[in-house]
Amino acid sequence: MQDLKLKAAEKRGIHQLGGDELVGWDEVTQGIILTSFEGDASDIVHKKAEERNYSDFNSYTATVASWRVKKPVFNIDVCIDCQNCWVWCPDTSIISRDKQMLGIDYDHCKGCEVCVEVCPTNPKSLLMFGEQEDLETALSQWPEKKKKEK
Amino acid sequence: MAITSIKNLKEFSTNNDRFEGAHTLCPGCAHSMIVRELMNCTDDNLVIASNTGCLEVSTAVYPFTSWDTSWIHIGFENAATAVSGAEAMFKARKKKGTLKDNDASVKFVAFGGDGSTYDIGFQWLSGAMERGHDFTYICLDNENYANTGGQRSSATPIGAHTSTAQAGTHSYGKKQKKKDIVAIMAAHDAPYVAQLAPNKWKSMAKGFQKALETEGPCFINTVSPCCTEWKFDPKDTINITDLATDTLMFPIYEIINGHELNILYRPKNVLPVEEYLAAQGRYKHLFKPENKHVIEEIQKNINEYWEMLQRREEARV
Amino acid sequence: MAEKFDLNEREVWDGNYAASQALRQAQVDVVAAYPITPSTPIVENYGAYVANGYIDGEFVMVESEHAAMSGCVGASAAGGRVATATSSQGFALMVEVLYQASGMRLPIVLTVVNRALASPLNVRGDHGDMYLGRDSGWIQIDAFNAQEAYDLTLCAFKIGENHDVRLPVMVHQDGFITSHTAQNVYPLSDEKAYGFIGDIVPVDDMLDFSRPVTYGAQTEEDWHFEHKAKQHKALMDSRTVIDDVFAEFEKLTGRKYNRVEGYDMDDAEVVIVALGTTVETARVAAQELREEGVKAGVVGIRVFRPFPFDQVRDMLENAKSIAVLDRSSPGGAMGAFFNEVSAALYTTPNRPLITNYIYGLGGRDFSVAEAKRIFLEQKANADAGHITTDIQQFSGLRGPHLGYFQTKRS
Repeated sequence: MQDLKLKAAEKRGIHQLGGDELVGWDEVTQGIILTSFEGDASDIVHKKAEERNYSDFNSYTATVASWRVKKPVFNIDVCIDCQNCWVWCPDTSIISRDKQMLGIDYDHCKGCEVCVEVCPTNPKSLLMFGEQEDLETALSQWPEKKKKEK
Repeated sequence: MAITSIKNLKEFSTNNDRFEGAHTLCPGCAHSMIVRELMNCTDDNLVIASNTGCLEVSTAVYPFTSWDTSWIHIGFENAATAVSGAEAMFKARKKKGTLKDNDASVKFVAFGGDGSTYDIGFQWLSGAMERGHDFTYICLDNENYANTGGQRSSATPIGAHTSTAQAGTHSYGKKQKKKDIVAIMAAHDAPYVAQLAPNKWKSMAKGFQKALETEGPCFINTVSPCCTEWKFDPKDTINITDLATDTLMFPIYEIINGHELNILYRPKNVLPVEEYLAAQGRYKHLFKPENKHVIEEIQKNINEYWEMLQRREEARV
Repeated sequence: MAEKFDLNEREVWDGNYAASQALRQAQVDVVAAYPITPSTPIVENYGAYVANGYIDGEFVMVESEHAAMSGCVGASAAGGRVATATSSQGFALMVEVLYQASGMRLPIVLTVVNRALASPLNVRGDHGDMYLGRDSGWIQIDAFNAQEAYDLTLCAFKIGENHDVRLPVMVHQDGFITSHTAQNVYPLSDEKAYGFIGDIVPVDDMLDFSRPVTYGAQTEEDWHFEHKAKQHKALMDSRTVIDDVFAEFEKLTGRKYNRVEGYDMDDAEVVIVALGTTVETARVAAQELREEGVKAGVVGIRVFRPFPFDQVRDMLENAKSIAVLDRSSPGGAMGAFFNEVSAALYTTPNRPLITNYIYGLGGRDFSVAEAKRIFLEQKANADAGHITTDIQQFSGLRGPHLGYFQTKRS
């Protein structure tokens, strides 16, 4: 099974957008200023998401999973690590580490399907499935390589 | 200056994003593709200002921020001025030595949609460009006021349907041509001005890096296809951008020091503009017989503009 | 290091020059400004100090007042000391950003040289612009002369930048009457002045990259109300800090400021309540009338926001008849200042008689004779035990008497 919390920092996607859990008086910061991290974040640009100490105000800790009706499923056996999906993902939801595509951050993916569209492999390494489809069933339905039509 | 490798996508993908998910931009929105690419182009500290617009209302709704760097939004029209102020303060504090880290390399960036760039914030942008602050202004041009539900802007192309320039029995949509913001910015004698598109990720990344590295005010117009208001399937954002650049509806070029023009992308096969128009709901009415002349006019405009760009490139003036 | 600027113990400065010297002594890091009469010399002078090395700062000449305040917001969020100046139409153009500056809790100092709002266009002083800022969430301090414009601008930095306050501060002075009239001013030495204000200690500094911050987030119905309530609370709580700063300033200079200034108020029966230079005119009138046996007193509002509701009440509750002078076109209502003073007095057991005078619009001169006439009308009210005139009157106006509303007595 693919780990849905793949490469997640502890707090990834724990909050609902517009959720009630943070509403209060003490959480109203002076000047409505939001801090992105806890502690010293000087070298954040050189830290991967899972190494960062995100604050509760960082949208990394929120989820938009409920926006999806369909989800992209990743098939690592077909992927050539071209990183097209990484560069064009509008939701920072392609998890690439050390030039390798590892999978999808389902807390932040909205199911737009751009990654599937830009995937150049044959068959595609990313395909859309119903939100409730489990990974094994999805992978078992993966199409064969298409022959080029003449 | 610490720029990151854009030799190929694999290298580029080793960057750690500083623009986080769970923002509330529409699925498939090109804004975030462009913002991510800008932030991944450099290792430097960034101070970013955003005008009011889709990007701003979707990335900083209390109690969440999607920005992993300093970010400020004041109003609809003044991101260029906000960043001017911050840049001036950076200089003043550096002189006095009151910065937390006096050696930090900092880049100043402002984002605006076409509404704030071409229209309501035009004066503020022009002022900041003229004053010569060291910053880069990036327009996320989706050719309409998308945040308020798709009204016309002066970036909306002729013939497009918007809620305030409607196509109907007596109208073919917007009557006026798009304002040439790139030429206007180049006329400010800016050291670097460009028009870029997210489908050509490498030329976009190169352009961003050039702008960040260039001292002085730089301006970049980026095409940002809007699935909601242009009326196409979200999955097609990059496909539509390909059509925009391959029909030359949106040519990719840069202008250095106000005059040296370089075309950055020449399509091998230039496609007829119908292919671009037909892919979007906002141009659907143009395919009625009575509106055929509008398509012809659009094609003519494209041809003339492309001709002009090529001549200017050749002339080097 | 900034060059040394020689000052005499006593200088002859107008209000604009006095304010600009305060900006120099505060070593303001960034001034983003757009010139407008009559406040122009404040920013011109700042520019001259920068050009000649008297300030290590950045002078950003923007293309409008809206941009001036926008630049100030960006600069202030970047952690340094920020100030600018404006008047009238420029103030009006700034209004959008005034609210944003206070909402973000940025301690910008704005020296406002009060001037009428068009139309018709007018460059002279009234308080239309000052009133336009009254709901903007800024602290508003009012100087009645050049010395005060200098002193209170120094105080403004210390108040606004206090971490318990963190609010922007306006220091008002009257256009031309104060801004362009040379008067004796006793400045502090540069060391003393800067020592009084101290270094700015940044909060949520955009240039501290170890702690990235987001400024200007959106709040909807789930957060907006609490945020605005906290902002109001900060304004109300700033009262004690203002008092402390004024006390410290008195220790340093012997010059004592109060949020409400009372003159001859111990036994005053008839009182003029006013803002700006009118306070000084009314004081002269009061003193002359006292020689004639009229127990006249004057109340000047030093801190217009946060409005000193309780102090106004305490100062006025034993008076018999009070005239509240509004130097702003009331636009179809009683004068706003009258309404605020009346509301304070309504909560007293005596509820003195209170009337409203609209005067001095567009810089129309307000003379000692006019002040005396107003006092004597109050005297007539006091003697009659009820208001004998219209409750609102225009004073110093040509043509027929213009006034509205009478007391309902049966």
